Amino acid sequence: MTVKKLLLAGGALLVSASAASASGFQVNLGGQKNIGMGGVGVGLSLDQAAMFYNPGALAMVRENGVQVGFNAALARVSFRSDNSTPQRNLEKQVVFPFNFYASFGPKDAKYKFGIAAYTPYGSTLKYASDWEGRYALTEITLQAIYVQPTASYAITPTLSVGAGLTILAYGSVNLQKDIPLPTGTGHITLDGKTKTQFGYNAGIFFKPSEKLSVGVSYRSKIDATVDNGSVTYSGLPAAGSASAALINRSFTATNFTATLPLPAVANIGVGVTPNEKLTIGLDASLTFWSAYRTLDFGFSGNNGNAGTATDANTGLVGGSSLSSSKRYYQDALAFRLGGQYKVDDKLTVRAGASYDFTAVKDGYVGPETPDADRVILTAGLSYQVTEHFGVDASFLFEDFLKRTQTQAQLLDNGTTDRLAGTYKTQVYVPGIGLHYKF
Amino acid sequence: MIKRTAPALALLGLAGCQPDIEAPSTSAGSADFSSYIAVGNSLTAGYSDGGLYREGQLSSYPSILASQFAKAGGGNFVQPLFTEAQSNGSGYLRLAGFTATGSPITANVTTNLAVRGGTAAAPLYTQFLDPVNNLGVPGIRMSDIQTVGYGSTLGNPYFERITPAAAAGQTYLQRVQATVASLKPTFFTEWLGNNDVLGYATAGGGANSITRTDTFTLKTNRILNVLVSGGAKGVVSTIPDVTGIPFFTTVGPSFRATLAAANVPSAAPFVYTTGILAPSATPGTNARVSTTLASIRDASGNGNLLLTLTASPYAGLYGRPTGKYWRDFYKQATGAYPTSSSDPVYNGFLRGMAVDTTQAFGQSTGNPFPSTLVLDGTEQTTVATATTAFNAALVAAANARNLAVFDAYAFFRTIAAGGYVVNAANNTTGYLSGYIFSLDGVHPTPRGYAIIANEMLKVINAKYGSSFQGVNANNYRGVVFPQ
Repeated sequence: MTVKKLLLAGGALLVSASAASASGFQVNLGGQKNIGMGGVGVGLSLDQAAMFYNPGALAMVRENGVQVGFNAALARVSFRSDNSTPQRNLEKQVVFPFNFYASFGPKDAKYKFGIAAYTPYGSTLKYASDWEGRYALTEITLQAIYVQPTASYAITPTLSVGAGLTILAYGSVNLQKDIPLPTGTGHITLDGKTKTQFGYNAGIFFKPSEKLSVGVSYRSKIDATVDNGSVTYSGLPAAGSASAALINRSFTATNFTATLPLPAVANIGVGVTPNEKLTIGLDASLTFWSAYRTLDFGFSGNNGNAGTATDANTGLVGGSSLSSSKRYYQDALAFRLGGQYKVDDKLTVRAGASYDFTAVKDGYVGPETPDADRVILTAGLSYQVTEHFGVDASFLFEDFLKRTQTQAQLLDNGTTDRLAGTYKTQVYVPGIGLHYKF
Repeated sequence: MIKRTAPALALLGLAGCQPDIEAPSTSAGSADFSSYIAVGNSLTAGYSDGGLYREGQLSSYPSILASQFAKAGGGNFVQPLFTEAQSNGSGYLRLAGFTATGSPITANVTTNLAVRGGTAAAPLYTQFLDPVNNLGVPGIRMSDIQTVGYGSTLGNPYFERITPAAAAGQTYLQRVQATVASLKPTFFTEWLGNNDVLGYATAGGGANSITRTDTFTLKTNRILNVLVSGGAKGVVSTIPDVTGIPFFTTVGPSFRATLAAANVPSAAPFVYTTGILAPSATPGTNARVSTTLASIRDASGNGNLLLTLTASPYAGLYGRPTGKYWRDFYKQATGAYPTSSSDPVYNGFLRGMAVDTTQAFGQSTGNPFPSTLVLDGTEQTTVATATTAFNAALVAAANARNLAVFDAYAFFRTIAAGGYVVNAANNTTGYLSGYIFSLDGVHPTPRGYAIIANEMLKVINAKYGSSFQGVNANNYRGVVFPQ
């Protein structure tokens, strides 16, 4: 699989996405044209990005093509705690979600094949090193790249179906936090790569007339499992110092396992084309976040911090070989509306909006996903440089509604492993894409 | 083209903007915090690690409260701080290290003290004679507030250091009265009464006495009358369950665990004395009780006997012929250790105590575990009864004056059971690594005081409709282990 190799090579630059552009740590940046239209696409057959939004629509995309899109997600997260401390700002990070599509198939055939690669989930957040939530989280990087070989078939001129095999080709997690120790503050880093896992993405597209199209699609859940991640510490008392034996014996683990669900998504969409110049899409999306119930880490290995290794002193982090943190996410709906207008043969302009409901219930908001209901506004344009080659630009602005949770809510829910306070996030995502049609 | 992209460029410019979250407003509600005074004992003074020193004073709960009050009209708050040069004040315990088995080794801090005279047993401290808002006096009992000469050189050295020599006869109540007249407090906190039961408990019921409830009630009303006389509002705190502090919950469980690890059966004998230390003519006041190790409370809460933190140096001597406790006691009483095991004065003293140090310590009626190191069931009941009665008196007195009540009894019971989480870091009432209690096992650490201040602010907000926020308790230290 050369595409996978290619992606891994470019991984450092390209992978991941930030503070997401849909509920939870989901990223809805499937195609540059769609981004400009509020993220709609399930009921449309605009271009090869149909493989992401609705594989059933691929057979209805007339031309073959290759397209690639890059986005720069700039998240601005602010936090103010319950205590009388100043506002904390997330360290500014830019991450680069991307999408890549290529489709091929004989002209005028009823079928099309394609290959897609995109980043449907991800998050990169880095808090100030001394912020009050340091014992909950200081830094997280979640990355997931799906590669999706796809086939689509037009059963009739108005009805097509399609499906793709989704491959979690690359996934990684890096999670860091401080540990309160009586000798001062320690730090722990969990870092691991996910196993390759498989799922599917399937859809049906129905276009009864030139003016109307309807689509449904479903992308299955993939469990991102880290089997042999590494556990490293810093800030523990130096070996041989007065308190080392007492404290370090609780930190012997060298490895961890964990599973993070990348949940299923069901979509339904409608496309309306009142005239040749105007296309309007309306999507509703349901992400099955309720699959994310707890985040469990199992620790193993022995670094000898507790002396001679025994079963009892193996795999300990803070004296325990297991850690479980409640998530209990809820299924999250999103509504999206957008349109494009062909100004002339060369220029198309787009605009859209969406409203995404949060996946995280009150009292469960943690610094690794400071989720909230969000309003998204987008704009975009395409410029067709030649008959075959064009440029797509998009801009997405995402405003999270201010979200407050209290210590009482944390106590009620048994979620005191995070902190009380108010989060406010805004995300800016400029993006650019190139497409070549043939 | 340019015209159309201009708005997009403007949006890109916005990408540098950080969303602002407004700071929650802080308001005083129906109370006035412009002049705040704190009345109380060691807890109010900021006593920690068995001593009063500058760092503890700076993180006393009244000092933290005053820093928050300052955000809604609160005024200057003066504490009788030790100077930087004498920052170690009375001296205190520090954690020097650990034994091979993980037991703490403590040491006394003896530099930069604020001792100006007196004797080693009864030192006098550098005075602070400016008017103070923090009238916390370590050691004071509710029953002491009308003791004449309590601020003299023969009285309480912590009260003496804030009492001008000319007013040496002044009682604590009179001092409070004078402070009310001069500083005209609009708000106060009152937390007295802990020592009226604590002293008895920490002495294992073997010394000291518990204040009579009628005396306690009378004096509670007197001091509150003085405090509200100028129309001030305030908070009255109840007395925590003293048997829930690490002073009583540390040695017993570790003693049981150590013996269990050494395969000593829990049915092995345990002999201790109850009541006052010395044998007495009155029957039953120095009873020797023979029971088994199983009656000492272990980590799971089984067993009823509580061993004091002061039992720590002696617990390991269980079963051995030893007179260590009595030699230490003798030194405390006379100022010197016995010259030898045949020292006639020392042997006379042992005979008076009816102790034979050649017998197995804690296993034989001839060499029992001393009463001062054990709080048994009867003594615990006595403590609990008094605590309940005192708290009833405090709450009734507060309610009668429409004051806020900080129920420290309920609060400390809650955190003893479930800990207290602050920003994803847990704090417990465990000794050393629980972060809340200092090395003396009785007094809070700066973190413990910060937690207390935060809880008091909640009570104040609820009662007076104010909107104070707490501090981030994690910024205050617990017991710091040596690196």
